[in-house]
Amino acid sequence: MSRGNIILAAFLWLIVAFFILYPLSILLQESFTITGTDSWGISNYLEFFKDTYYLRVLGNTLLLSMFVLLTTTVFGVPLAYILARYRHRGKTIFTALILLPIVLPAFAGVFAFIIFFGKYGTLNLLLMNTGLIETPINFIYGLHGLVFVQSLHMLPFIVLGLSAGFTNIDPSFEEAAEVEGASGFWRFITITLPLCTPSYLAGAVLVFLWPFTDWLTPMILGQTNLLPSVAYINIAYHFTDMHRKYMGIVAVVIAAVFCISLFLVARWWVEKKKYTGLSKGTTSEGRVIEPGPLLKMGAYAYLLFIAFIVLLIPIVLGLSAFSRRWVFEPFPTYWTLENFRLILLESPILIKNSFLYSGLALVFGVAFGLPAAYIIARSRVPGKDALDFVITLMLAFPGIAVGVGYMLAFWDKIPLARYWIIMPLALFARRLPWTFLLRRPRKYRARADSELFLPYRCLCCSRACSSA
Amino acid sequence: MAFIEIKNLLKRFKKVVAVNHIDLDVIEGEMLTLLGPSGCGKTTTLRCIAGLETPEEGDIVIDGKSMLSEGFIHPSQRGLGMVFQNYAVWPHMKVFNNVAYGLKLQKISRKIVQERTQEVLELVGLEGLGERYPSQLSGGQQQRVALARALVRNPKVLLLDEPLSNLDAKLRENMRFEIKSLVKRMGITAVYVTHDQAEAMVISDRIAVMNSGDIVQIGTAREIYKQPANKFVADFIGTMNFMSGEIVQSPRDVDAVCVRTEFSEKVLCTTDSVTEATPGKKVYVSIRPEDVEVFTEPPQARENLFKGVIVHKAYLGNFLYFFINVNGTMIQAQVPHSLPQDEGQEVHLFLDPQKCMVLF
Repeated sequence: MSRGNIILAAFLWLIVAFFILYPLSILLQESFTITGTDSWGISNYLEFFKDTYYLRVLGNTLLLSMFVLLTTTVFGVPLAYILARYRHRGKTIFTALILLPIVLPAFAGVFAFIIFFGKYGTLNLLLMNTGLIETPINFIYGLHGLVFVQSLHMLPFIVLGLSAGFTNIDPSFEEAAEVEGASGFWRFITITLPLCTPSYLAGAVLVFLWPFTDWLTPMILGQTNLLPSVAYINIAYHFTDMHRKYMGIVAVVIAAVFCISLFLVARWWVEKKKYTGLSKGTTSEGRVIEPGPLLKMGAYAYLLFIAFIVLLIPIVLGLSAFSRRWVFEPFPTYWTLENFRLILLESPILIKNSFLYSGLALVFGVAFGLPAAYIIARSRVPGKDALDFVITLMLAFPGIAVGVGYMLAFWDKIPLARYWIIMPLALFARRLPWTFLLRRPRKYRARADSELFLPYRCLCCSRACSSA
Repeated sequence: MAFIEIKNLLKRFKKVVAVNHIDLDVIEGEMLTLLGPSGCGKTTTLRCIAGLETPEEGDIVIDGKSMLSEGFIHPSQRGLGMVFQNYAVWPHMKVFNNVAYGLKLQKISRKIVQERTQEVLELVGLEGLGERYPSQLSGGQQQRVALARALVRNPKVLLLDEPLSNLDAKLRENMRFEIKSLVKRMGITAVYVTHDQAEAMVISDRIAVMNSGDIVQIGTAREIYKQPANKFVADFIGTMNFMSGEIVQSPRDVDAVCVRTEFSEKVLCTTDSVTEATPGKKVYVSIRPEDVEVFTEPPQARENLFKGVIVHKAYLGNFLYFFINVNGTMIQAQVPHSLPQDEGQEVHLFLDPQKCMVLF
């Protein structure tokens, strides 16, 4: 334990305190503020839990989370199994395609799907042209559409976690079941899947938390009675009624508390079940099966189906980028480069800022992540586990809580939020655990808790791009 | 009667031949060990029997039923018991459920499943531990769970893939005898895989020594020790002095093979081990350390008498162990009686021609 390490750790704590603990404490403090007075109290929370509207909003969010988790699970389990276990061509391409939603910003998907699945979108127009339907079908607006968009966005988390699980469990666990007389499906249900629960859970937590974070997608799809959207609306319209602002902050805090509790429970559970620690697979590849022709066809069809839906996003967005007035037509009719001219020549500041902010956030992230990784993995500085814990906890923190906390904390006394620098700083704070996960060296690979991090690690690179 | 017949079995992994056209019969009720260094194909052979690998060529017949020639029979349909090297005890199930897993898949009443599982748990010495999770058990206990699980359905064949390799030495030695008596009591035909020659010699009725995908020799422990088929077997089982040399023409009146070695013009060897003693052939004169006789004064024998200098001398309780330099060749000797000479002093060696083997 050298003096340099202690100074370094102290410096890191200072950053964590200033950029995370301080804004969050302000957020918490504001949530207890009683409107129009300087006094504190729990009246805001009491109001939240007494008001049937807020309770319904909380219920809606939970319901949405469950639907999204159910959908991603139903579609993700076979997908992960096919990718991890079947020997097939184009494995890399399919894997990359299915992971694509991680790299794309959440709202990219919504815009694309509105153009394609909307009331007078491509699909409805095609169906009406062929005479299959008279009036348009509502594919996308409503809870079902929201479940679809959010599920597709979160699908990679389930697939990544599970396919790592399917690859990493010791093949002899399954072989023993087969020798004991279990075949195919039964073996999968009783042995393979239960052994993969820690890996599954790692992704599932993130999936479940997403509806508590994503306020934009529901609003675009006309579903505003969800916790993050309500919080956003309340805070954004605080000039009509200051009390709404505090209720919005309460909603943010409740979402954050909920997310963190769930995350901690999941983490505790994963660490309790140390399945992978017992024995490792004999091959790096894991168990690979050569499926029968019928199964193989089905698997390919399924992969293509998912790949098609994922690919809709860049294709539709690409088409609309090169077209103009694409309305009431299944496909664009007027091609142009005008859109590009507009954005590149008339408002290059948009692109410049995006790159600048995410670039700076990346620099901050690496500058913090490397020393933090060093302190936590290699030194014996007291309190390093607490540092690890605080940073990891940010994984579960809803982005909206960071944003609101920053606005509250850095406006009056420390007026950072009046300048553009707040953008890269907020991005940095939000993605703190991801750059920090650079640390995971080889010796952690076999540890059970590392399973929890696998999906995040892939994120740390891609998020930086997507924010651009 | 052969209970398991392996005919012309070939298994490749990509281009590497793991099992090279082997034939092997396992007799009903017999405990046969596949013994060899890592990578020799012993585990692959076992996995082919279990159905966990699909061989490219050949057939496996178990109890008169072909596993391959009339369509591949899935491991779940073969009704075998298997103990894996890492036990493969399912960590998410209690001991009882681990053991009862195979029984529950059969259409038998819950009561019988309960009784049979308890019975097997008692048999392997795990009574009272059924409600524990595997992580709450020691390595030896997990090993017993694996054994109980393999035995619970009364399989006709038990396959064991290095089941003791993860246990500590003391426990391993006890478990050898325990497994053997258990298997013998139940009358199961067993195929055992190990790289530990002592384990193989304790546990097996017969040993099949494998090397690079081939079966080099099959026989009882005694046969393999006393009459190794070649240098590989002799080296793998026990300790052996190898002295390279070349066969020379034997004198007419001598009924032995005559070998010229680096330390002597003429070493006589028993003819039992040699099929073709063509002069000029490169061979190894081989003798076990315990067969080397060491004397203070030259004994009465006329042949195979050599002088040597003690390089190392060690007291090992019931015998003395020597490294003796004979004209530049190091010979190991294990002597049951005490000897006054110390390191650096001269002794006389007698290599009994009846115990000198000629190996290739």
